[in-house]
Amino acid sequence: MPLSHLAQRALERSGLGPIRDKVLAGERLAEEDAVRLLETRDLAAVGALANHVREARHGDVTFYNRNAHLNFTNVCVAACKFCSFARPDDRAASEGYTMSLDEAVGSVLAKRTLGITEVHIVNGLHPDLPWDYYLEVPRRIHAGWPELQIKGYTAVEIHFFAEKFGKTYEEVLRELMAAGVQTMPGGGAEIFAPRVRRKMCDDKATAEQWLEVHRVAHRLGMKTNATMLYGTIETLAERVDHMARLRALQDETGGFQVFIPLAFHPEGNMMGRAFPKPTGYDGLRTYAAARLFLDNFDNVKAYWIMLGERLAQAALSFGVNDLDGTVLEERIYHMAGATTPQALSERQLHRLIRAAGRVPVERDSFYRTLRVHALPAAQEPGAPASVRPDARAVEARP
Amino acid sequence: MPKLRAAAVSFLNARPLTVALERSSRIELVLAEPSACAAMLERGEVEVALLPVGGLVGKDYEIVPGVAIGSDGPVSTVLLAGEQSPAVWDEVFLDTASRTSQLLAKIVLDARGVHPRFTQMPAADGLALARGTKGALVIGDRGFGVSANQILDLGREWTQLTKLPMVYALWAARPGVMAPEDVAELVRGAREGLGMRTELAQAFARERGGDPERYRRYLTHRIRYGLGPHELSGLEAFVAKVASLGFGPETTLRFADDHVRRSHVRRAVSLDTALQKGADGERLDADEAELLEEQAPLLELGLAADARRRALHPEGVVTYIVSRNMNYTNVCTTACHFCAFYRPRGHGEAYLLTREEMAKKIEDTIAVGGIEVLLQGGLHPDLGIEWYEDLFRWVKSSYPTINLHALSPEEIWHIARTSQLPLDTALDRLIASGLDSIPGGGAEILDDDVRRRIAPLKCSTDEWLAVMRAAHLKGLRSTATLMFGVGEEGHHRVGHLLRLRELQDETKGFTAFICWTFQPENTRLAPGDNSAHAYLRVNALSRLVLDNVPNLQASWVTMGGGVAQAALHMGCNDFGSVMLEENVVSAAGTTFQMDSEEVERHIRDAGFVPARRNMRYQLVAGKAA
Repeated sequence: MPLSHLAQRALERSGLGPIRDKVLAGERLAEEDAVRLLETRDLAAVGALANHVREARHGDVTFYNRNAHLNFTNVCVAACKFCSFARPDDRAASEGYTMSLDEAVGSVLAKRTLGITEVHIVNGLHPDLPWDYYLEVPRRIHAGWPELQIKGYTAVEIHFFAEKFGKTYEEVLRELMAAGVQTMPGGGAEIFAPRVRRKMCDDKATAEQWLEVHRVAHRLGMKTNATMLYGTIETLAERVDHMARLRALQDETGGFQVFIPLAFHPEGNMMGRAFPKPTGYDGLRTYAAARLFLDNFDNVKAYWIMLGERLAQAALSFGVNDLDGTVLEERIYHMAGATTPQALSERQLHRLIRAAGRVPVERDSFYRTLRVHALPAAQEPGAPASVRPDARAVEARP
Repeated sequence: MPKLRAAAVSFLNARPLTVALERSSRIELVLAEPSACAAMLERGEVEVALLPVGGLVGKDYEIVPGVAIGSDGPVSTVLLAGEQSPAVWDEVFLDTASRTSQLLAKIVLDARGVHPRFTQMPAADGLALARGTKGALVIGDRGFGVSANQILDLGREWTQLTKLPMVYALWAARPGVMAPEDVAELVRGAREGLGMRTELAQAFARERGGDPERYRRYLTHRIRYGLGPHELSGLEAFVAKVASLGFGPETTLRFADDHVRRSHVRRAVSLDTALQKGADGERLDADEAELLEEQAPLLELGLAADARRRALHPEGVVTYIVSRNMNYTNVCTTACHFCAFYRPRGHGEAYLLTREEMAKKIEDTIAVGGIEVLLQGGLHPDLGIEWYEDLFRWVKSSYPTINLHALSPEEIWHIARTSQLPLDTALDRLIASGLDSIPGGGAEILDDDVRRRIAPLKCSTDEWLAVMRAAHLKGLRSTATLMFGVGEEGHHRVGHLLRLRELQDETKGFTAFICWTFQPENTRLAPGDNSAHAYLRVNALSRLVLDNVPNLQASWVTMGGGVAQAALHMGCNDFGSVMLEENVVSAAGTTFQMDSEEVERHIRDAGFVPARRNMRYQLVAGKAA
C-alpha cells in the first residue's frame, strides 16, 4: 500500500523524505531521525507516516482490555518529584494507606462479576511490609479467581524487593511467578537518562537496573510492558535515548509486548509548580515517533485516563493501536489531577474506537484476541439520533 | 426479431444495470453466477454477458462502452477476511464464484509481498476456515455481513496501489453480434436503472433484511457505474497486471462501439482527485465534497486542509481574541432539544442581567486587555428593540473601545418580530445604536429537515441566511458556525457548507468559520457521532469546501487543547477566544478552560506564533503578539 500523494508531498516539503524512504524500505530509523520527527512541526505528515506503519501492521484493529488496578499501598520510601500518589508513612495525617491482606485480596475478588480479565498491581515502596505479603496477594487472588490474569509489580518494585529481602532478581521473579504473577507492568522507567533520573527520582532503580529486571523476566519467559514518562525536564534527545535503550533490549529478548508513553501530570506533586502538563500536541507527536522508531514493538498504547477520551481517540490516527482498558478505580493519575472519569464502560470504548473508523478487539494480558467487536448494522454511525425521553424534563414548552 | 440473450448476475450492484432490461424488447435477460455468465458467453449460449473482467483475459470479446460496475476506493463487497494480519497468511481460500476477484486478491497480496497457497473453496466454507494463518475471499452480497478481525477491502487496496478505479464487471459481447441499437439499449437500461437505486435498495432490504439506506449509499457512493477514460485506465492496468504477474495471458481491449465509448453515463469522482483539488484550492463540487465527507480518511483530509491553510496563512501565525461572553438572559422561547442553557420565563433559575452586572463584566474585561463583548441571549419574549438600542448606546458611550459582537441571526429575527419591524429596519436601528458585528451562532445545521427535528421553533435555513445577507450588505461582518453530531448525515453537513459558501461568494461578509460538536449533557437529544475524530474530519473538510472563507477557528472549548492543536495542523489558523465567561456550552457539560497564557502555550507548543486579533482578524497589541 503506497502512501498517498498528499502524504508524500507533505513529507518532502518538511524535509522528511529520507526518513520516509527508510520507513517504507523497512529500514531502522537512527536516533537523530527520531529527534527529527519529534522536532518537525508538521503533525499531519508525521502522523500519516506513523498511521501507514500502524495500518500495515494492524489494519484497523484496536486493542483494549478489561482490567482493574490494585494499588494496595501508597506509602513509599522513594521521593520521585513527579509523583502525587506516594506518601511517606501510614499515618492518617499524611494520607498514607496500606491495605491489609484481606482488604487487598478482597477488593479484587469483589470484582468477579464485572467481567474483567486482568488485575494490574502497582504500589509504593513500603518500608515495612514483609516479603510474604507481596507473594500472598497474588497467591490468594489466583486461588480465589484462577482465570484472572495477574500483571504485577513494576521493575522498580522488583529491584526494591531484591535489595530489601536479599534476593537476586531471578529469585524474586521466580517466587512471584510461582505465586501467580504472569506479566510485568512497564512502570518506573520514567526517563532513562542519568541527568534526568538524578533530578527527578534519584533514590530508586537506575536505568540499568530497570532494564536488567526486564531482561531477567524475559529470560524467565515473562512478557513485560515498557513506559516512558514525558513532559518534565527531559530533552527530545533524551526521550529518543530512552526509546533506543528499550529497542536494544527488545532486539536482545523480544519480551516487551507494548510501549506506553505517559504524560506528566502536574497537580499534587513537587514538579507541578515548575512544569505545566504537556499539551496534546506533544503526546500525538510522541506516539507517532514511537511507532516509527520502535520497529520491534508490536503495540503502542495510549492511556485514555491521562489523555482524556477525545485525545486518546485522535491518537488512534497517530500510531496507537491499543487503548488502556475499562480501568476500574485508578488512583495514581487521579491524584495528579486527571479529570477523566474513573471508568469508561465497554460500550463507550467501542463507540469511541468505531467512530475513529477502527475495529474494537478485546485482548487478554498476552495480546491474544478474545473478541472482535465488528460493527452491528443497527449502530452504524449516522443512524438518526432520537430525542431522549429520560433526560431533564422541560417544564414549560410553548 | 429474436431477442439478444444477455447473462447477468443477480448481485445488488448489478441490479441498476439489469432492472430496466427486464421489460426490454431487444434483450432477454438470463440470471446466473458470475463464473456461469462467463461460461455461457464462452459456449455461445448468450450473445452478451455482464462479464466479470477476469473473463476478458485472453479473449476477444467486445466491450460495451460507457457502463461498468466499478469502484474508486472501498467497494465493501470484495473482501479478504481473516483472523490474523494478511502478512502471516500461508493459505487463502478463494470464493469459487468469481475469477476476477481471485485475480484481484492475488494482485493485492502480491503487492503486499504475501504469497500464500490458494485453495478453491465455496465462500461460506472458506470464511469458516479463515482462522490463524488462513484467509478467505468473500464477494458479492455476502460481503455486507462479514465480520472478521482483519478485513482487506480489495477495492480500496487496488485504488491505493494504482491510484485508479477498479472495474469489476462490464457488458461484453461475442465479436460482431452487437448492433448499435443493442449497445444503445444496454446504455439506456443503465440510465434508467441508475435512477431507481433508492427503490432497488429498498427492495433488496425487503428481500434480505438490513438497512435500505446502507444499501442505497452502497449503490450511490461505493459503486461507480461509469466507464470513462479514468475507469478504462483502471481496466487497462488490471489486465496488464494479470499478464505481467503471470496470472493470465495478454489481453487487448476491444470495443463494440467507439462512438458510445466516449459518452459515459456519469462523471466518476475519484477520492484522490477530490483531495488534490481541495489541497490546491480548486473549488469542490457537491459530489466531491460528499465523497470526501463519506470516504476520506482523517489524515488525508487533514493533509489536504493543512496544505490549504499553509497557502492561505503561510506566515505560521495563529491568532486568538480576548473576549467576554455576556449571556444577557437565559429566558428563551425556542426550547431547542440540544440546549442545556435556556429556562422558560418565570422559572426559578431564569435571569436578565442588570446594567450594574453588565458594567462589572465589561470593566473586568477591559482590565485584562479584552477588546470585545460577545452579547448573546435567549429569545426573551418581553424585550423589544428599544431595550437593545438603549443597551447598545449605553455600552458604546460608556466603553467606546469595546467591539460589540452581538445578536445571532435568530435573535435579530426575534427582535424584528416582537417589535413588528421589517428585518432591514431592525438591523438599521441596531447598527445605528452601536452593533459592530454578528456572531454566527444558531446556524446549527442549515438544513430544514434537521432543524425541524432538533430545534422546531428556530428560524429556517433561509431566514438565517437572509439575516446574514442583509447584515453583510450593510457592511457588518460576521462569523459562521456549524454544530454537528445531532444525528444528521454527511450530506446535511456538506449542504450546510455549500450554503455558507454560496452566500460568501455573494457578500464576502464571513470573517471566519467555526465548527463544534453537539454537547449532550443536560439536554434532551441523544448525540450522533460527536467524537473528536469526527470533529477533526469535519473541520478539515470545511477548510477544503469553504475556499472563500479566510479563517478557521479551532474549538478548544468543546474539544480540549490537544485536539484543537491537532486541528491547527489540519486546517485551522485561529485558536478562538479566551473567554472570560462561557455559560451555554458549559451548561451541557464541557469543562475545558484556558487563560491567555495557556492559550499561547498551546499555540507555541504546536509550532505556531501566537498573536492577538480583533473581530476583523487584524492583529492587535497585547501579550506575546
